[in-house]
Amino acid sequence: MLRKGLSIALALAALTVGFITTVAAQQNAKVSHTTLKAGDMAPDFTLLDNHWKQVHLSDYRGKKNVVLAFYVLAFTEG
Amino acid sequence: MAKLEASDAVVFGISIDSPAANNAFAEKIGVTFPLLSDMNRKVLKEYGILKMYNVQKEEYDWAQRTTFVVDKSGVIQSVEEEASAINPNNAVAVCTKLPKK
Repeated sequence: MLRKGLSIALALAALTVGFITTVAAQQNAKVSHTTLKAGDMAPDFTLLDNHWKQVHLSDYRGKKNVVLAFYVLAFTEG
Repeated sequence: MAKLEASDAVVFGISIDSPAANNAFAEKIGVTFPLLSDMNRKVLKEYGILKMYNVQKEEYDWAQRTTFVVDKSGVIQSVEEEASAINPNNAVAVCTKLPKK
């Protein structure tokens, strides 16, 4: 009886963890909106351009305004 | 583009594509500004714009279409997401209003 109770408790715990994980994954999927807003510092980055040359955002500090246009995928309407 | 250059701005396109793919894309659509590769999605995560796309029941993490205008002191001046980020007019307007030097 005790053993049965324990296994039920374990099953419930497993279900709860599974549920929480699922909920977390779903929430994760929805988090696509940036938390950055006007007035925040833009996080610095180093990325390769289309000629394999490194571009540092910080190189433009004090020199140029920068427009960062994130797009979904090349060769698509995105 | 000319308006942006006149307002002392540079433009970068950013996606998860490889530099080779981006270069072919740049040649195809004739863009003159650099296209940057965030292949490990590091910048997308840092900027909080990783979005899950479902393609034939498989999930993929790609960029949410977003445009940021960053001024010369490194401060974000505007953020536009999804459909409104397609039209560059607002980014141009923001850049034009920023101090020249």
